[in-house]
Amino acid sequence: MIQVIDVTKRYGQHIAVDHINFTVDKGEILGFLGPNGAGKTTTMNIITGYISATEGSVKVDGFDILEEPEEVKKRIGYMPEFPPLYMDMTVQEYLDFVSDIKKIDRAAKKRSMEKIMDLVKIGDVRKRLIKNLSKGYKQRVGLAQALIGAPPVLILDEPTVGLDPKQIIEIRSLIKELGKEHTIILSSHILPEVSAVCGRVIIINKGKIVASDTPENLSKRLSGTGRLSLRVAGPEKQVLKLIRELEGVKDAEVQGVKEPGTVDILVEAEKDIDIRRPLFYALSRAEYPILYMRSVDLTLEEIFLQVTTEEREVS
Amino acid sequence: MLAVFKRELKAYFASPTGYIFMGFFLLICGIFFAFSNLFTASPEYISVLSSITFVFLIVVPILTMRLMSEESRQKTDQLLLTSPLSVAGIVLGKYFAAVAVFLFTLLITCLYPVILSFFGTIAVWEIVGGYIGFFLLGAAFISIGLFISSLTDNQVIAAVVTFGALLFIWILDWIIQGIPTDRISGIVFACVLVVGVAALVYFTTRNIYVSVVIAAIGFGIIAGVYFTNQYFFDGFIVRTLEWFSLLKRYENFMMGILSLSPIVYYITFSAVFLFLTVRVIEKRRWS
Ligand SMILES: Nc1ncnc2c1ncn2[C@@H]1O[C@H](COP(=O)(O)OP(=O)(O)O)[C@@H](O)[C@H]1O
Ligand SMILES: [Mg+2]
Repeated sequence: MIQVIDVTKRYGQHIAVDHINFTVDKGEILGFLGPNGAGKTTTMNIITGYISATEGSVKVDGFDILEEPEEVKKRIGYMPEFPPLYMDMTVQEYLDFVSDIKKIDRAAKKRSMEKIMDLVKIGDVRKRLIKNLSKGYKQRVGLAQALIGAPPVLILDEPTVGLDPKQIIEIRSLIKELGKEHTIILSSHILPEVSAVCGRVIIINKGKIVASDTPENLSKRLSGTGRLSLRVAGPEKQVLKLIRELEGVKDAEVQGVKEPGTVDILVEAEKDIDIRRPLFYALSRAEYPILYMRSVDLTLEEIFLQVTTEEREVS
Repeated sequence: MLAVFKRELKAYFASPTGYIFMGFFLLICGIFFAFSNLFTASPEYISVLSSITFVFLIVVPILTMRLMSEESRQKTDQLLLTSPLSVAGIVLGKYFAAVAVFLFTLLITCLYPVILSFFGTIAVWEIVGGYIGFFLLGAAFISIGLFISSLTDNQVIAAVVTFGALLFIWILDWIIQGIPTDRISGIVFACVLVVGVAALVYFTTRNIYVSVVIAAIGFGIIAGVYFTNQYFFDGFIVRTLEWFSLLKRYENFMMGILSLSPIVYYITFSAVFLFLTVRVIEKRRWS
């Protein structure tokens, strides 16, 4: 459905997107994951024809964005990072305007408008001026705008950013719902968010694709190295020495002392080894009780670091 | 295009902009009408039209400053440019909306000559011609304002620069009188133009070869023209600047002469600036 072929975008000397390639099949929900400045928005702007790539091409449904922009644009509903709303219009006026510029005929518009308003739950604010709406409602109007004309492809740039947890859950389930009828690309800088809704995740960092996999495989790969944070009652030096000598431990370091007579330690295990039991027995044998132990989630930065080093090892 | 036109027209009257424009325009027009016709009991209405052209300096920036700049600031250009609309359609829709507000206001002022006609005879065709000229002049100024508005995402900057540009055109005839008309300065000016164009090409494309080639072609043309017709450069600066002299052509209308060439000129002038606006928007997407 969507083919991104060797797309590069340069801003002067700076490369925002660096030779990226991927395809999205019909009906797929693709997550586009990366930290701020990774090039997610730039890529989406290129796919939707808002900006042009320096090199490479984009095809949607077989149409090239440069050669037949109108055909491509008809097939895409785009919700940019900042919803493109006219503050001086009411919700209804705005959505009518969007229908007009998307050249939807009157009958089709009437039929779909109510459905869309129900779906994103903005029926109760249709007469309100957009500038007076809350952030959550603005976001939903932005989504409604993308849905107008029932485009087969939806491109959603950080759709949940700035929303409260309840709204995030609502939008997520809405996206899942939409995924039944649309091909979706969704960007985010939060891993759980894309894992929750996407069938496949592409990780992008500094303009390059560093990984592309299902969320399950990705988290399997990532959980390979277990990292544990523990608090142990005992003298710092001995405890640390004991842990470091344990088989399967890659590294251990002291994180500080938060309770007198104890020490907080971050332990990193070798790949694919579960060290929780050996750790427990070793410390209890030495009579250094573990006060707590929990696994530490990787931060996004660490995921990138790991994925990138992993890729290098593979290749 | 129609959708953009309608939205833009509504936006003028959803904010104070439309009312400020109309109010100010009608006020100035009314004052001049009162002083030159009512108080002096003169039926010579066309002099009002020729003396109030200065209002364009103030009202055109009000009308055009928001047009494109606000779209970039609010990121709504993202909606327009990713919709199936063409850039030309967007630009034309906006242009015609601004022109429509202006035309509507102008039509209201037609009441003044109608009032006059109750008290004496007025030169109807002269006034109609004057109105056509006034309208075309305003429409050309609006195209300049729209162009400038596409260059920035700050309305205030757009307004100030538009004011400056219109002021320049306003005093152009005056500047032209002080400009040297000899051949040497004509050639120097032509060379400066060529260098300017080449520099512009370099800064927009960052391609040194293309700009050098353009400069070479430009100098070649200058040399060619010089050897075939060296008189061409006599008064070249003046002739170039006169092309921008919107007001000079306006005088024809004020004398009651309605000829085709100034009409074509004004329409061409607006078309050039609309085309440039489209180019600016498309260029930005490529940079
Ligand atoms: N208009 C622009 N001019 C120059 N650099 C830009 C522009 N837009 C984006 N960038 C740069 O491109 C990189 C990618 O940005 P972006 O695509 O917005 O990242 P993301 O959406 O993943 O946070 C960033 O380093 C950003 O600074
Ligand atoms: Mg972004």
